[in-house]
Amino acid sequence: MTNFAHIAFYLAGAVAVLATVLAITRLVAVHALLYLIVSLLAVAVDFYIMGAPLLAALEVIIYAGAIVVLFVFVVMMLNLGTQARETERLWLTGRAWIGPAILSALLLAELIYLILRPPLLGSLSGVTSPKQIAIALYGPYVLGVELASMLLLGALVGACHLGRSSLSETEVQR
Amino acid sequence: MSTVHVISLLPLLVIAATSVVVLLATAIRRNHAVSFGLTLLGLALSFCSAFFTPPNQVTQLLTMDRYAFFFMTLITAASFAVTLMAFGYFEAREGRKEEFYVLLLVATLGAMVLAASSQFASLFLGLEILSVALYALIAYLGDRPPSLEAGIKYLVLAGSSSAFLAFGIALVYADLGALDFVRIGQLLGIRKGLDLSLLLPGTVLILTGIGFKLALVPFHMWTPDVYEGAPAPVTAFVATVSKGGMFALLLRYFSQSASYRFSPILLVLSIIAIASMLTGNLLALFANNVKRILAYSSIAHMGYLLVALIVSNRLGANAVAFYLVAYFVMTLGAFAVVTMLSGRERDADRLEDYRGLFWRRPWLAFVFTAMLLSLAGIPLTAGFLAKFYIVAAGAESQAWLLILILVITSTLGLFYYLRVVTALYEHPSGNTQVFEPLPRRAPAVSLVLAVLAVLLVWFGTYPAPLLKVIQSAIGSIT
Repeated sequence: MTNFAHIAFYLAGAVAVLATVLAITRLVAVHALLYLIVSLLAVAVDFYIMGAPLLAALEVIIYAGAIVVLFVFVVMMLNLGTQARETERLWLTGRAWIGPAILSALLLAELIYLILRPPLLGSLSGVTSPKQIAIALYGPYVLGVELASMLLLGALVGACHLGRSSLSETEVQR
Repeated sequence: MSTVHVISLLPLLVIAATSVVVLLATAIRRNHAVSFGLTLLGLALSFCSAFFTPPNQVTQLLTMDRYAFFFMTLITAASFAVTLMAFGYFEAREGRKEEFYVLLLVATLGAMVLAASSQFASLFLGLEILSVALYALIAYLGDRPPSLEAGIKYLVLAGSSSAFLAFGIALVYADLGALDFVRIGQLLGIRKGLDLSLLLPGTVLILTGIGFKLALVPFHMWTPDVYEGAPAPVTAFVATVSKGGMFALLLRYFSQSASYRFSPILLVLSIIAIASMLTGNLLALFANNVKRILAYSSIAHMGYLLVALIVSNRLGANAVAFYLVAYFVMTLGAFAVVTMLSGRERDADRLEDYRGLFWRRPWLAFVFTAMLLSLAGIPLTAGFLAKFYIVAAGAESQAWLLILILVITSTLGLFYYLRVVTALYEHPSGNTQVFEPLPRRAPAVSLVLAVLAVLLVWFGTYPAPLLKVIQSAIGSIT
């Protein structure tokens, strides 16, 4: 465990906290989402430093990649039309992108430094390989995977029901 | 995992399979009665299978012992009653009803996992399965603004309390390197120094997460709004299955990890218990809404249960289990009455809806009176014996302050229960508008009420058979 790993860890942690605070205080949903992505990326960097590269990759692919981008699409698609396009243009001009860009650049610099100087990369608790995680998940914790699938089933049915009922309500109003 | 292990999981497997079957049946053709019947069948099968399955430790995650089976039968029975209540309630409404049963089964599965988990990973999974299904169940009637509001409140608060719980688990794991309750107990036993700097905050954060689900006092804010906003059968579910599963877990965690050896934790729990008893009963005095009164009373009841947990002797653990059974019976009974009187537009939650009920539907008023008196702890009912056991357990451990507060607050509690009871028997005056319940009489709910009333008196007068079952169940965790 080197001193540098600590500094990098806390720097990424600070970025995560800052981005999250900014995300929950933004008034425009799209701006909040940009900060949320930065926050998730910062957490991924923290996972990487702690010796869990697989988790870091999954955090980027699943959270920052799939889920939040889906959010962005939904927010963008909910208000179509010329008026919405005008507001959309307003959202994306100005200084909205500067904050997330600076924070992401910070994370990128940190990540490049970590990758370029592997001898300095000490992890806080040893490196866990994907194989170890897979063996744990499908060995002693296989029931956990099954239970998680039931969790997703419940969430899916619930989301489907609630989304449907609110949709039909707006249709009636139109 | 071998065949033996899979057989031991039977009660859980049946519920999980039923939820998928109901979902598929809904996908093929929507039919409320078919979904309802399949759900009842699955719950009944799961209930029965818990009597025949052999106890076993199934991987590290689930401990299927007698204790788990006892609470699983309790949970499935309560879900069965909730399903019976829900049929009449949703039948009279427009909109989609079949998803309700899938969500109910998934939530039941979550509570059963809680009852069987002896490890933090399965605790978290069970809790999340329960919570995620409950978000949707509470907000199920999307056309009612209070229902949606309650759902969102529950979503936000349950989400943040899960974060507390996860952080607490992480702290305990960082300190001890174990997730298993028994192993944690062993590690604490052999520890020499008393460095609690990670363990104590961790345990308190875990208690925060658990306390939220149980609606103990600093974390009780959501309770009245969610009880009021959720559809009546769902409220019954939140009050019984969700809290019962969580308390089963708390009791197991407390006794297996031997947390009572730490006086700071006992002190925290005592403060929470006293605050819950006082706040719940005092706030209920000022409430005018029957669902809110029941919500506050449930806060107080969780405080009483905590007293039995804190005294942490064998009698205390038995008292917790007995109290939970009694609490299930009387809470389900009270909410079955609310369900029966609820109309299409809103639930029967105002006190005016109950004014003079005796003169319109005497049997219903009579059963409701019995349930309320049991909640208040009047002799001849299960509620009285349950409280008696808690006081006895407290006296054995000489927890006089807790007992004193329990007795004082129970007396306070009499006032608001009697306020509802007197409203039931008032002569209806001509100008009050009588609330019209659903036109469709629900025979299923009448059946539930009759069975619960019999159980209430049976457990209150001849508790010996139940106590024997409880003793053998508690024996497997102590």
